[in-house]
Amino acid sequence: MPVECKNINYKYPGSQFPVFSNLSCRVGMPGFHALFGQSGVGKSTLARMIAGQLNGFAGEIKRHEPVKIFYSYNLERLPGWSDVGEHIVKVTPEANKHRIDEIIESFGLSACAGSGFSRLSLGQRNRVNLARYLLQDFDLLIMDESLANVDEATREQIIYKIKDMFPQKSFLYISHSVAEVSKFCRNILVLRDYSKAPQIAAIDGRDNLKGKDIVKKELEETMLEIVNAS
Amino acid sequence: MLHKRIYQFVIVYFIGLAFLFAVKGIFNLSDYVIPGLSDIYITVTRVFTRYFFDVLNTLSVAIVGHVISIAMATAVGIIGRLSNWMGSLIRTAAFNIQAYPIVAVAPMIFILMGDGLSSRLLIAAMICYFPLLLSFIGILSEPITDIEHFYVHSGRMRWQLEVKIRAFENMNKLITVVAGSATLAMVGTIVSEFIGASAGIGYSIRIALYQSDLSKILVALFLIGIFTSLYLALLELLGSTVSRNWGTHGEKQ
Repeated sequence: MPVECKNINYKYPGSQFPVFSNLSCRVGMPGFHALFGQSGVGKSTLARMIAGQLNGFAGEIKRHEPVKIFYSYNLERLPGWSDVGEHIVKVTPEANKHRIDEIIESFGLSACAGSGFSRLSLGQRNRVNLARYLLQDFDLLIMDESLANVDEATREQIIYKIKDMFPQKSFLYISHSVAEVSKFCRNILVLRDYSKAPQIAAIDGRDNLKGKDIVKKELEETMLEIVNAS
Repeated sequence: MLHKRIYQFVIVYFIGLAFLFAVKGIFNLSDYVIPGLSDIYITVTRVFTRYFFDVLNTLSVAIVGHVISIAMATAVGIIGRLSNWMGSLIRTAAFNIQAYPIVAVAPMIFILMGDGLSSRLLIAAMICYFPLLLSFIGILSEPITDIEHFYVHSGRMRWQLEVKIRAFENMNKLITVVAGSATLAMVGTIVSEFIGASAGIGYSIRIALYQSDLSKILVALFLIGIFTSLYLALLELLGSTVSRNWGTHGEKQ
């Protein structure tokens, strides 16, 4: 288990109430996992703590082995002086360059490669941003609403592709779609208000793979479980 | 852009001239205080060529001083953007020193360095350096988180890249600041020439003042305005070219 959060307590400076109170969880097993919860419950805050980008909290985040964690979020931009294709080639490590075309094509970005980032739609921007993260050397990639503004069919195609291409890597997908996390994720961490104990509940998802049918009743049960837990 | 600046200046200049003539008419002032149109015309024919080259001389010093101050402000701004003690020291020093009027130091510079080119250049550079530096520090120390995040956390961020991102994202602000400080460079050079130099249009204005010859000063002001407008227009053109070429590099479809 690469990352273990133990008894995390955190309050934003100047805030009256804590975000986390004795929060404990485990993330980082290979596969596609989710972090789910209502707006403002602290999903991004927890994700940034796990990625080592936010400190000043009480408790411990243990990394049992050297682990490369990347945190991507949906408001990121690419610099404007180069086009999308040039940028991606430039920031991709040599060993992963052979994957560029496959990712660009499966993400539906072939037509965008010669364009400037500012010319793209929000959905295209988020796909481009996610693509460049997937081309890095990572063990755990946190995708904080990385597929926001992307249509449902493309989102599905992208998630299937990620699961197919990176079966040994770990993903933590932050989304507000109950149906999506229930269908695609192996494990769903439902983050709740600090007053609820435990603050985080782990629920098994359907972990659906491309081409495999999903039992509607089971999916609905999972969705209900998530809604009840949140 | 160029013709707009010239038009604007000519309009302002002639409004000023009209105001002077109105004052002359209302208070019935003599030609000795405010010269008539014919006197101004005669002065134009006598001093125009000399003043033209004097302004050119002043402008060339102002441009060199401006370029030096831009280079210095960029270099010091890059260090001043840092959040360590060095950056903090530079920011504090820049805020404190810029509060001291350079014109008050100018006589000391002339005493130490004489009335030649170096004194004019130094004063011109110093007058536009501090406003540039403060703006550069402000722009370069402001993180562009949504772009820098990827580079920082993938271990690719270098100081050159950080400066490039921040400069690129604030290109319009930088161009405005650089163009705005061009006027300061021109003012600084003229003031330094007026105080102690023996060349340039500031020096000619000082002589005209001793002679109480307002016509000469009006001719000098006209030429200063035209040349400053030309320089500003040139800078704006340069800025928009840089912005267009750099900024739209990735915009091709």
